[in-house]
Amino acid sequence: MPAAAAASRAGLPVLEAASLVRDYGPVRAVNQVSFRLGAGEFLSVFGPNGAGKTSLLRLLAGGLRPTSGEVRVSGIPLTVGDRAARARIGILSHLSFLYGRLTARENLRFYGRLHGLDDLDSRVPDRLADVGLERYADSPVDTLSRGTVQRLAVARALLHDPEIVLLDEPYTGLDAYAAAMLQELLSALKDGGRTVVMVTHNLGRGLEVADRVAIQVRGSFVFEAARTDLDAAGLERSYRRAVEGRA
Amino acid sequence: MTVYLRQVAAIVRKDLLLEVRTGERLAAMGALTVLVAVLFHFAIDQGLVRMQLLAAGLIWMTILFGGMLGMGRTFEMEREQGAIQGLLTSPVPLDGIYLAKVVSNFVLVTLIEVVALAAYWLFFGFNYGNDPLLLAGVLGVATLGFVAVTTLFSAISAQTNMGQTLLPILIFPLLVPVVIFGVTATGRIFASRPVQEVEGSLYLLAAFTVVALTAGTILFRYVVEE
Repeated sequence: MPAAAAASRAGLPVLEAASLVRDYGPVRAVNQVSFRLGAGEFLSVFGPNGAGKTSLLRLLAGGLRPTSGEVRVSGIPLTVGDRAARARIGILSHLSFLYGRLTARENLRFYGRLHGLDDLDSRVPDRLADVGLERYADSPVDTLSRGTVQRLAVARALLHDPEIVLLDEPYTGLDAYAAAMLQELLSALKDGGRTVVMVTHNLGRGLEVADRVAIQVRGSFVFEAARTDLDAAGLERSYRRAVEGRA
Repeated sequence: MTVYLRQVAAIVRKDLLLEVRTGERLAAMGALTVLVAVLFHFAIDQGLVRMQLLAAGLIWMTILFGGMLGMGRTFEMEREQGAIQGLLTSPVPLDGIYLAKVVSNFVLVTLIEVVALAAYWLFFGFNYGNDPLLLAGVLGVATLGFVAVTTLFSAISAQTNMGQTLLPILIFPLLVPVVIFGVTATGRIFASRPVQEVEGSLYLLAAFTVVALTAGTILFRYVVEE
């Protein structure tokens, strides 16, 4: 990950949100959110429905234009349609972004071509193997279980070796086994030096892999802490206080 | 091939592969095209009307109706599992996504045109003139203009609850130049008139197509960006 490493060496955060604001008409979905993440840092963002978590993630992905503030990737402001920055970001959502009538292999090859990758003959089987889906390579996505599709979505999100990975409720619809497998994959991402932001309702899972946590309510980060300063019970209390305090 | 063209080609290839697998749009468009031809067959008293004089108009209206049915669903396949977000957050420039959709729609509408020409030949025995290359050229240019406009508006309508209903109302007024110059040019080709009598309409069709493509390429960004 040369750009992330270079940014890290230069003391620049790999991903930075600076006073991000996003309005939808009169509704403020994201309100003055700021943070800085270095290479290998994992931020979990919790919040109730409608807190603005998905909007925040879309701002970080460059898929949504901020009303004010900016996102910086390795110190460079991210603009909507920024091709170079997008190539450095991988997104995993509760929606898989996969086409049901295409096979697992065809889906990965399609996204690989969008990223301009040349080594798809070797890269696609490797990514399928990473998520344990070699035997489903030629199965249409429509025929796969929810957990298998989510593993394939992980392979899609990481196909181009992104330095920054954005996760939007990745546990939605997963059974215990699939959720545990996803948890292992997320830990591997962090260990691999990737910068990760995950928004989730799942306090336990989110806390387990995070270096830092934040609670977002009505668009704002109302609570932030380092993982080392917090245990599960403490997060639970803080979450309840934050949500009820704004109710 | 540049990365840009490879990205566009990847989307076109994916769209056509999905169409081959599902046949959703093509089957509906083809069926409507044949049905419209059948209805005209029964709706017009061929003992009173010289059908050949109406050939270009009937064929173009059939193509527009059949084409509109499929074009309206251009972005439907991208809504499944949020795939549109996968496209919009990929490194593909937004104009590349638009151009890819135009190309895949162009292929579908061209297939519908073949179906329409065959259906009208079967039901009415239309004579399509003696210059098939010129006919292909006129149909190609007009079709490109048609899909350039329709693809842009299907992206707009995909973001509204009444999209499928709104699309024809939004689009048909903008397609008047395609109808006027397309019908004029093809009518003269069917009548085996000299090329010089077709050129004027063809140039105007080409101008419309260039304007539509340019506008679509520029405006698509504002349609899909939030």
